[in-house]
Amino acid sequence: MTSTTSAKRIDDNSKNDRTNRAGIKGWLNPIIYGWERVSYWFQRLTGIFLLVYFIGHVYETSSLVSGPDAWAAMLEMTQTIGGHLFLILVIGASTFHTINGIRLIFTQSGQGLGKPGRPDYPYDPTSVNNKQRSGLWIAFILAAVAMLYGANVLFSGE
Amino acid sequence: MTSSDIKNNSNKRTRWFTNITLLRESQITKIHYITGVSALFVVAIHILMRLIMPFNMSLEFENVILNYKNIFYALLLESILVLIAIHGFNGLRVILLEIRETLIWERAVNILVIVAMIGIIAYGTRTIIIANGFSVG
Repeated sequence: MTSTTSAKRIDDNSKNDRTNRAGIKGWLNPIIYGWERVSYWFQRLTGIFLLVYFIGHVYETSSLVSGPDAWAAMLEMTQTIGGHLFLILVIGASTFHTINGIRLIFTQSGQGLGKPGRPDYPYDPTSVNNKQRSGLWIAFILAAVAMLYGANVLFSGE
Repeated sequence: MTSSDIKNNSNKRTRWFTNITLLRESQITKIHYITGVSALFVVAIHILMRLIMPFNMSLEFENVILNYKNIFYALLLESILVLIAIHGFNGLRVILLEIRETLIWERAVNILVIVAMIGIIAYGTRTIIIANGFSVG
């Protein structure tokens, strides 16, 4: 086999490898990478959602300076079932983002990662352990509780 | 790699603009964490202020203006504005920088988020100042 043929074969193989890549779909797929990938996406999605809400909230409250009528008109837009449901989503997103964010701060400072060990089959990383997973579940549960409380306050008007 | 190379690399800082050297990524990460945790406390007070009376009543124009007239509450709102603007737009910067890794993209994203951050802080501060009416009581 000449070196040219060999190089061509390597090139073909690398092209085949590229076609086998899952690409962005693989990146988004939570099934392969587990709950940590779900956490990764939720942290980003809730972050973007909360930033959009924050900008909207700053704009919404600026109607204060235009007087009581402008404020009442702006409030009327938010005091609907849709507005309440949106606020409940904001409550859930902010609770999850906060709790998961605190978990990530601890993780980045090396807390709860477990001791490094020899890589034995089935190569489960010690960093992806029950402490990390329970932190994620606590974030989901507290977000659900906060959403229920928020729904009670918003829909009962108390 | 010589020791001087290592020293030079360790002194490299994130260049947000072409010739302006600001912060290292590690410092920005710390700021991100500090603003996030601080925002948690101030936002908690902000929400509690809506719950000390019936929710609908707390949103009446007179009540809200009364909140803004209180200088301590106005300062709290300003701190929420600054903390969340920094935290939020830096978070957006991190997400956008994960998508692409070119120098032009990085600079464009950095400039965009700084301008947006300053814009939202200025707009929110305007509301706080006008609603407060320079009241110190």
